[in-house]
Amino acid sequence: MKTYHDLAGDGGSNIIAQVVSQREKLRSRLDKIKHKISLMSGKGGVGKSSITANMAACLADRGYRVGILDADLNGPSIGHLLGVGNDRKLTIDENGVAPGVGAMGIKFMSMDMLLPTPDSPVMWTEEAGGTAAWVSTMESTALRELLMDTQWGELDYLLIDMPPGSDRIDNVRDLIPELEGVVEITIPSPVSQHIVSKSITKNSKMGVPIIGLVENMATYVCPHCEQEGKLFEGEDVRKLAQSKEIPFIGKIPFDTRISRKTASGTLFYAENKESVTGKAIAAAVDNILKFIDKNSKR
Amino acid sequence: MKFLCVPCDEQMQTQTDGIMPAEAKNISLKFKCPKCNHTIAMLTNQFETEFVSKIGVELGGQSAVGSGPLSMVGSQLAQGKEELKQTVMKDEDFEWTEEAKVRIGRVPFFVRNMAKKTVIGFARERGIKVIDAKLMDEVREKVGM
Repeated sequence: MKTYHDLAGDGGSNIIAQVVSQREKLRSRLDKIKHKISLMSGKGGVGKSSITANMAACLADRGYRVGILDADLNGPSIGHLLGVGNDRKLTIDENGVAPGVGAMGIKFMSMDMLLPTPDSPVMWTEEAGGTAAWVSTMESTALRELLMDTQWGELDYLLIDMPPGSDRIDNVRDLIPELEGVVEITIPSPVSQHIVSKSITKNSKMGVPIIGLVENMATYVCPHCEQEGKLFEGEDVRKLAQSKEIPFIGKIPFDTRISRKTASGTLFYAENKESVTGKAIAAAVDNILKFIDKNSKR
Repeated sequence: MKFLCVPCDEQMQTQTDGIMPAEAKNISLKFKCPKCNHTIAMLTNQFETEFVSKIGVELGGQSAVGSGPLSMVGSQLAQGKEELKQTVMKDEDFEWTEEAKVRIGRVPFFVRNMAKKTVIGFARERGIKVIDAKLMDEVREKVGM
């Protein structure tokens, strides 16, 4: 009797060829994007998405073509931050789906663009007895489709706004082996530093390049006089970077104008690049670019 | 997974008129021996069906329809924009009504190609050129799709 290996193919579905074809499609899309960077944190609520959007604005201000992939599938916020509502009609053809285009021409793709109303959740089933067993596989495939099927065109930078936690990085690395690296973001609070240290440890062990650690909400900036004051008690984040032997690449103040600007659809950086906070964002971007200049193969 | 016809020692071939219950919970795939024509059905449980649906491949072979952008997300999101549910009918021999297009677009992408071929085969046998919701109801009744 014939064995498994004696049988050529799988009887008609040609699953292997389909997977190869997916990979080729993904590759042809990614080859047009020069640099891919993930921005992640251990803990939620540290301002990761706001920093991602404003760093993208800083890059766009310098003339780079920038896109953002919102990898936070269940808590998408990039469209909102870039001033694009979820009522925008989707344009889909055989070449893919057109990305959203937000403030400063920043392209983006987010689950929010696919949902019918602003308060629609990402649900893979509406049945009460629906199984949770395959949600992770579903999310991995969804992320691949968002990356592969978006008509990004030629980009200099694709920033990937990761969900809180460090589990999704496995998925991103599998899809983008040429990832330039990750930017880790924390606030000074001991809890946030505790969690981000796990993310740093995991990435170090997995050999994911760490561009550096950003301290967000490091101080409080008065929007009237720009005086800075301390906001959180906690260990110096620089010490964490030193202990983990990764670069400390920026200290960004808490600035109430960031949320006000983003709520009105204008990115803070676009109008405040000379402010204390704007300069801090630019300084962190400078460090990212230096890392890429030094380490990138492209 | 591969299937072998033991008496003939021949690989069985996937049949494109596999059936898919309307609730899309359990795939039934038919395989036929090319030598003796013996046919078997592989019946998957809910977990196996869900797993296949999430890896982004099509059973019975890749189609232009199923491999379209955001195939998995479009067919699996419980609440998604209508644009995601649209599908392009490329078989020029048949005219699909808008309702029929929407209905075939709701079939999970990984079996949509098989479902489309089943409907077209049914229409061709009867000399029908326009595929509408009524015809799809008949197909469902006859083959369990």
